[in-house]
Order: sequence, then structure tokens, then C-alpha cells
Amino acid sequence: MDFNLENFKESLLSGIEYLPNTLKLVFVPLLIGLFLGTVVALVRVYRVPIIDKLLAVFVTVYQGVPIVVALMIYNLIFMLKFNDIAKALHIPKTVTNVDNIWVGIFALTLTAVCSISEVIRGALLSIDKGQDEAGYSVGLTKVQTIRRIILPQMVPVAIPMLINNVVGLIKASSVVMAIGIIEIVAGSIIPSSRTYSFFEGYVAAAVIYWVFTIIIEYLADVLRKHTGRFRRNLYD
Amino acid sequence: MIEIKNVKKSFSKLEVLKDVSVRVEDGQVVVILGSSGSGKTTLLRCINFLENADSGEMTLGDIHLNLKKATKREILQIRRKTAFVFQNYNLFANKTAIENVMEGLVTARKLPKEQAREKAREALDWVGLSDKYDQYPSQLSGGQQQRVGIARAFVLHPEVILFDEPTSALDPELVGETLELIKRVAQKGITMIVVTHEMSFAQDVADKVVFMDEGLVVEEGTPKQIFSEPKEERTRQFLSRIISLDANYSI
Repeated sequence: MDFNLENFKESLLSGIEYLPNTLKLVFVPLLIGLFLGTVVALVRVYRVPIIDKLLAVFVTVYQGVPIVVALMIYNLIFMLKFNDIAKALHIPKTVTNVDNIWVGIFALTLTAVCSISEVIRGALLSIDKGQDEAGYSVGLTKVQTIRRIILPQMVPVAIPMLINNVVGLIKASSVVMAIGIIEIVAGSIIPSSRTYSFFEGYVAAAVIYWVFTIIIEYLADVLRKHTGRFRRNLYD
Repeated sequence: MIEIKNVKKSFSKLEVLKDVSVRVEDGQVVVILGSSGSGKTTLLRCINFLENADSGEMTLGDIHLNLKKATKREILQIRRKTAFVFQNYNLFANKTAIENVMEGLVTARKLPKEQAREKAREALDWVGLSDKYDQYPSQLSGGQQQRVGIARAFVLHPEVILFDEPTSALDPELVGETLELIKRVAQKGITMIVVTHEMSFAQDVADKVVFMDEGLVVEEGTPKQIFSEPKEERTRQFLSRIISLDANYSI
């Protein structure tokens, strides 16, 4: 099999052109996931009555569905029902002039919320109950204790598992190809369909993902060391 | 004055506190003795609402409340008038020694930061940690951590400080100096309730000794009454076992 460097370069540039789409597909779900995931985890760890049970069921059920299946379902709902829903809500838009990248972002966001909430729940459970009690004993409220004592200790514990999640999210973002959104992979093989250099196209996509992932892992490690200054760990 | 009346508490089927009443006058040091499982730690935790009692009443200064039906505001009010020193220190792991001491002042009492820092410095100097302000708990020894814990409680000038076996987790070497420090807190005239196994501390410092067994107060009185002339058989048993234990080991 020949490897055509020219075609590879062309694919690389084409893939990078669609990097912003992948960034949107990763960072919007990540940010929403971090926020809502933390809320879900706190509700479950601090046992807010009823809601905690509902969320536990939701997370378990939702994590049992492959992203691509969920994506297909949302996309069908979007295609078939968007016009009706928009009309009911008096939004002057039809399905033809809305970018369906938002369907992809929606699907990835729900997945991210569920998996990140599990990571954060694990990290919260690793913190000794005595830390909460110490907070209450000096007169802090529950919210103050969580904000000032528990969350800062949770972050460095959660980061290694979160990196794993973010990397997973980066790679999972390529499934949106299935509903016709162009991101790194689809972008990289645009030139290939003209030159028949699919091999170079996919390798180019792999290289872009690889560099992207390495940068993320590096940044996360810096962040982990910074937020975990108070911990004494011989392996750091 | 702090008074608790008819406190009951069960953990599922296990009745830990059966009907306990204790009264502590201002400035008094009360030591609670008893074997493991007698309910002394649970009693202390009920006072600070770290456990919710099943029934009982409490009076602290001018606050009077039902332990079972206390509202969130009442609980916060009580917690802001009391302080707790834990067996395993429970320093905030993400905060330095001085931040640990400042936390209650700044966040709960809304003291300006600079003022709180000044007070925290004084408290840490007072417990002998003037060179450890900026160390994290993980960088301090057990004895030093417990001294920070005492400073953190003391700096709040609470109406009562609750000590839950403050020296049980310490090296034998460090027990003496920590007890010495607690004695100095007592000499400041702060009301204290101390759960401990250190008999000599109870003899030296306590104004009143309460002996608990199986969720009940068996006997209370001055250290002299309890140690020299115990009235109840159960107290005598407990003391003789402890004292013979001491004798066995001091070869």
C-alpha cells in the first residue's frame, strides 16, 4: 500500500478545518457535564430525598444505552418533530435552517453528565465524613462546608478519572458522523473521496486526535498537581 | 450553663443512650468516663447535632430546644456556640494550619480576614505552633494536628468545647503534652465536656466526673468521690480494672 504524503497533508488540513466542530462537541458537553454532573453527584451523596433515587435510576438506565443509539433516536425526533415543536413554542424556524450539530451536542452532553456524575460521586465518597463534621462543628452550613471544604478536596481525586472521561468524550465525538455532522474524521476524508486516499485520510484523523488528546492530558496533569498541593503523595 | 435532659438515641435496634441527663455549670470541666460502647461519644455528638437524638432537651445559655425537633437555624445557632475537638483531629485537609483556625471565624462568624488571621496567629502561638502557620495537615505530626484542632476550637471562644477522646489517636509520648494543653484551656475558664480514658487527667482537671455504662449515667460526682469512694458496684469494677491494667504494665 502506498502512502501518499501529499494526500495525507491535504487530509490533515481538511480535518483541522473541522476541529472547531469537534471542540464544540467536546467542550460544550464537558462544561455542562462538569456542572450538572457535580450537582447530580452531590444530590446522590448527600441523599436529597426522592430526587436522589430518581437520578440514580436515570443514570443507570441511560448508561446502558450506546451513544450511537441514543444519537439516532434524538436525530429522528429532531427531524420528524422539530417543526411541530417550534410551531408550538412560536419559534420562527424550521428543521432545514437549524444545524443538527446541536443534536450531537445534546446526545454527548447527556452521556457526559451521567459518566461525569459517577466520577465525581466516587471522588466525593472518598472524602472522610469527618471533614463534613469538622465543617459543621466550627459553625459552617452544609452548603458552606461543601463549597469550601469538600469540593476543593474532591477535585484532585476526580481529575485522573475525569481525564479518562474527556479522552473518551473526544473520541466518542466522532460518532456524530452517523447523522451527517462533519467533524475531524468526516473532515479528513473529504479529500479522500476525490483522490481515493482513504488510508491517508484516516491516518490524518488519527494524528489529529492523538495530538489533541496529548495536549488535554498534559493540561489535566498540571491542573491536578495544582489543585492537589495540600496532598502528600509519594508518587507525584 | 449547658444542660441536657433525657437524651435517648438508638442506632437501628441498638439503644446507645437510654435516658441521659447531664448539667454543666459555666466554667466547669466535666469528664465523662466509661468503657467502650457506653455511649459517651454518642452523647457528645448529640450535643453538637453530629447525631440526631431520638428525644431529649437541651439548654445552652438562653437557648432552649428539643433535640429531636430542632430546626436548621437552631442547630446552626448551637453549633456556633459550641466547638468540637475530634479524636482523629479532622483538620480541613485542603487548608493550612492557619486557614483551619480562621475558617470558623471568617465563614461562620463573618470576621474580616485580617482580623481573623491575627486571632488565628495568636491561637496558634498559644498552642506552640508559631512556626507551622502555613503547613498543611498532611505535613504535621499527630500531636501538632491535634494542637491545631484545639486552636481551631479555642479561637471561636465558644460557650462550651466538646472533646471527644482527644488523645486516643496519639503516640503515648504526645499524650502528655496534649493533655497539658487541654489543661491550659481549662484554666482559661472555658466550659468543657471531655470524653477520655485518661484517669489522671480526670483526677487533675475535672470539676465533675460522670461515669456512664450501657447508655446510662451510673454515677457522678467530684473526682474524689468517684475515684476514692465510688458508690456503685459498676463504677468500682470499671476503676479496679483500669487501675489493675496500669499496674500490670508498669513493671
